[in-house]
Amino acid sequence: MAYIRKRNRRIFLIFLLPAMLVLFLTTIYPMIYAGYLSFRSYDLAKLFVPRVFVGWSNYAEVIGSSEFIHSLITTFKLMAMTLSVQLVLGVGIALIVTQKLPGMPLARTLLMIPMMISPVIVGLVWLFLYFPELGYLNYFLSFLGIESIPWITSTNWALWAIAIADIWQWTPFVMMGTAAALQSLSPEPYEAAMIDGNSRWDVFTRVTLPQLKPVLVSLMFLRAIDAFKIYDIIFVLTKGGPGDSTEVLSMFIYRQSFTFWRMGVGAAASFVSLVIIVVLITLFFKSLQREQHA
Amino acid sequence: MKHLKTTALCGSLLAAISGSAFAQGQFDGVELKMLAIGDTSVTRLAPIVDEFEALTGASVQIDMFPYPGLIDKIVIEASSNDPSYQLMWVDSPWVGVLGESGALLDLTDLVLRDAEEIHLDDIIPIQLQENTWQGRLLAFPASGMIWHQNYRKDLYENAEEAAAFEAQYGYPLAPAQTWDHYIDIAEFFTRSAGETLAGEVLEKDFYGNAQAYSRVAGAITHDFFPIMRSYGGQYWDPATGLCAMDGPEAVAAAEVMKRLIPSNPPDYLGLMWDIRTGYMERGEVAQSSYWSVRTVRLTNPDEAVLPTIGEAGYAASPTGDGNPQPTMTGALSFGINSKASEIEQQAAWEFIKWGTSRDMMRRFAEEGSGVSQFHVSILSDPELQARYPYYQVLLDAQENAQRRIFHPFYADVEEVFGVELNKYMAGETDSAQEALTSACTKINTRLAVFPEDLRLRWINDEPAAIFQ
Amino acid sequence: MSAITLNNVIKRYGAVQVVHGVDLDIEQGEFVVLLGPSGCGKTTTLRMVAGLEDVSGGELSIGGRVVNDVAPKDRGVAMVFQNYALYPHMTVRQNMEFALRPMKLPKAEVDRRIGDTAEILGLSELLARRPAQLSGGQRQRVAMGRAMVRTPDVFLFDEPLSNLDAKLRTQVRWEIGKLHQRLGTTVLYVTHDQVEAMTLADKIVIMRDGHVEQVGTPEEVYGNPRTTFVATFIGSPSMNMIEARVDSGRLVAAGLSAAIPARFADKVSEGQAVTLGIRPVELKIASGDEPGAMQAQVEVTEYLGNEALLDLRVGSHELVAEVPADQRADPGDMIHIRLNEAAIHLFDTASGQSLAH
Repeated sequence: MAYIRKRNRRIFLIFLLPAMLVLFLTTIYPMIYAGYLSFRSYDLAKLFVPRVFVGWSNYAEVIGSSEFIHSLITTFKLMAMTLSVQLVLGVGIALIVTQKLPGMPLARTLLMIPMMISPVIVGLVWLFLYFPELGYLNYFLSFLGIESIPWITSTNWALWAIAIADIWQWTPFVMMGTAAALQSLSPEPYEAAMIDGNSRWDVFTRVTLPQLKPVLVSLMFLRAIDAFKIYDIIFVLTKGGPGDSTEVLSMFIYRQSFTFWRMGVGAAASFVSLVIIVVLITLFFKSLQREQHA
Repeated sequence: MKHLKTTALCGSLLAAISGSAFAQGQFDGVELKMLAIGDTSVTRLAPIVDEFEALTGASVQIDMFPYPGLIDKIVIEASSNDPSYQLMWVDSPWVGVLGESGALLDLTDLVLRDAEEIHLDDIIPIQLQENTWQGRLLAFPASGMIWHQNYRKDLYENAEEAAAFEAQYGYPLAPAQTWDHYIDIAEFFTRSAGETLAGEVLEKDFYGNAQAYSRVAGAITHDFFPIMRSYGGQYWDPATGLCAMDGPEAVAAAEVMKRLIPSNPPDYLGLMWDIRTGYMERGEVAQSSYWSVRTVRLTNPDEAVLPTIGEAGYAASPTGDGNPQPTMTGALSFGINSKASEIEQQAAWEFIKWGTSRDMMRRFAEEGSGVSQFHVSILSDPELQARYPYYQVLLDAQENAQRRIFHPFYADVEEVFGVELNKYMAGETDSAQEALTSACTKINTRLAVFPEDLRLRWINDEPAAIFQ
Repeated sequence: MSAITLNNVIKRYGAVQVVHGVDLDIEQGEFVVLLGPSGCGKTTTLRMVAGLEDVSGGELSIGGRVVNDVAPKDRGVAMVFQNYALYPHMTVRQNMEFALRPMKLPKAEVDRRIGDTAEILGLSELLARRPAQLSGGQRQRVAMGRAMVRTPDVFLFDEPLSNLDAKLRTQVRWEIGKLHQRLGTTVLYVTHDQVEAMTLADKIVIMRDGHVEQVGTPEEVYGNPRTTFVATFIGSPSMNMIEARVDSGRLVAAGLSAAIPARFADKVSEGQAVTLGIRPVELKIASGDEPGAMQAQVEVTEYLGNEALLDLRVGSHELVAEVPADQRADPGDMIHIRLNEAAIHLFDTASGQSLAH
């Protein structure tokens, strides 16, 4: 008996080992190393800069930096822009494509395409659309008599340009999750409401939405995490500009790490933003869930 | 062990052939890789590297990348102990960071050894000085880089336009000598679709000027610093080694760029170097100041529209007060990875000599396209001058030229000033002074941790040892 | 004035017609049950009355007004669904409030109605609960409460008891009956369960394949079925049906013959194919020498307590007899039975129509 248990434990370990090794090498070790870097002065390019322990000074610099605060605000701005539109559009489109109308299953499939494209490609596609002078978007707008818009070369538009590309790519995600939830809703309460004479708006806001809420909260939670990490599209479209109008956290970290080569500061900024994302998003969604259970 | 043997063998071979340039098949089996830009200084050479292999036996593979991000790749390459590139394309401002890190092989002795073969005394001295760090030559020029202005000669010489200009501004229309004139001309030629230009109704908007305003890869700084310099501005405070790029000259330069905005295309905040030169090459702007690396295209109907619809003129950069100021130069050069093996370094030097030789440069010039030249004999050749009218401008500009920035923190300067200037141009920062002071403060924060003698050494332009 | 009138009402889905010209009059305060096997069109008919399905043809009136094109909410009906159709995220009170919302009543009135209804239905303690926290029977009461608070002219029930277990079903059925007595509102009630129909209905409408087979009181449809379908559908166990022929003034079937009851004498003709129907309770155990007694073999005996069901083989016919439990025989026994002549139903085999009318 004891022998078997011992042997089982060994087999258990043997099976577990590869997965743990991969996890350690690809996730845990880099994180520990980044933590180590964040307390050091480490300039990858300037080999003459001494690589020494600097205590919390990288963290102090990050937290005290107006650029970091600005990038944090920009990140949350972008998050608010993309999430709100994705929520409204995603739910709206889901309401349409779940109707029993001809062509809707096909529409559902087609609408999912943007989601399957790599964000870099999405960025390039939108670069062609936004491109100053030669961009297709302004070309089409000109037919509508709309004067050309400096999508990615104006500080007023650039963040919207990023947001639109992100909305284009990720609304289908919200749409898909919402459509699945809608289709799982029982039709009978709707018939009851129809007979009772409840208005469509009442039915939508008081019957449909509350029932969708758990799904929508989860979808928004996932989108919020992604929005916090948005990088590829911005890198391709604006690289943080014009001015600092699209300078989000990931661009700040990228610039510190790979333009200034200050790996220590970059690592510290990564940890600070990790803490912020965990704390803020958890708090936000906890409060949403509390409200829901109340 | 094998490596040692090869080196010894090659050493003896070298000894045997010393005196001659190179021997056929001397580097049989050596494989060189070059990390390079995809621009004129390389694109002309890349298709003909087979000729070099036929001569020496060494094969060369050139990997070409866009300028933004290239320095990142080179830095990573330089910090690797097991390099995959033996040859590296170097923009002269990078010499500081690469030099201080010991990434590049010191070419001083090789240049002196082969001075005659490379026609050292025919090369414009500032182009060589551009590639030095603490007096040591770390890269060899493959293309010059001179800041100057390009303009629509055909429009300037149009009698109607000239008369209208003089009537409006009270002085004759000619290539601007001051930035104020430059701004006047830009304003004058900025026309909307439907208006007339040189007697013809415009189908689309015409712009007076195109400059680089984008912050991507610090593009705006590449236009800003030459203008700052033309006001007599300096990069560094010679007493402290700290940032001086927020002085009155810098402010004036930033304001020049700001005042030019109404004459620039509406997407000015996104104008990169190539987009800005594209406007000039398509003949869609009246004037554009830029680095000579692409000027050659303005003469070639295969590469630009302008020669088919008008004519480009060339002049020295305007200055603050109209009096000559030292022009800014740069150099696009080839360097050798200090961590490459000895035989690879030898082969790489042979390649540099071959690829930058006067014969090669003349061949490019005669082919009708090519690099920004840096040999006196080529730039002053009357036949070539007739074909490339800007050669004389380049020659004159380098008489009394000053070196571009070469500080080890150049990448930081480029990025920080790129963002701050771009914010100012976008209207996010109220004044040029505020933008520049903010940028300087950031740079100084990073420099302040180093001792002053080190900072002073970093800004010291020690004359190249090859000249002594 | 009739509360609900269906005049030749038809339902078509594309080319398929599923309800064929239903005619029906429902009086004010009447409890009418639509009864039939699944697929007979009863639910579709109910949903047309509710307005959840369009009427493809004919005329549908509620309270004297043609409502073919009137929206469900304007028909003055309330519906109780098979699956309760409660809003899962709302409490019992909120469910009722939501149903009242379109009426825009003052808050006090809303509270009064909900309070009264909850009182009647015994939901007062449950008002703060959500459907998930209720039993099936409670949920069904909430569904009824939600319909009741609106004080509609007509209640529509769509198989309201089919999701309940047998015991609850009896109880809720009883409650529905009591409620109807108390409120006196017109009810249209769909079920496939004849017991519900028989116990609750003032009037039963038996449907089959989209047609109305018979409309009548429970007594009428049980005692006087108009068709073989109604005869076999109503009553448990089903009526025994024997294919027979009129031969020399007698009903003759394989292995048995019976005299034609006097009341049918002038309704049949010689040689006519008829179906003889006799309910299991009307098959009586007889002694062998009794006139009309037939020999039967007991194949299965089902003991039900008070009575027993005997599966019998009489000639080539399989018949079921329901006899007092103390008279039951064992499988394999040979017994004698006789038909209660007065209880014989006779149908024309070709048309399936009763010959009693």
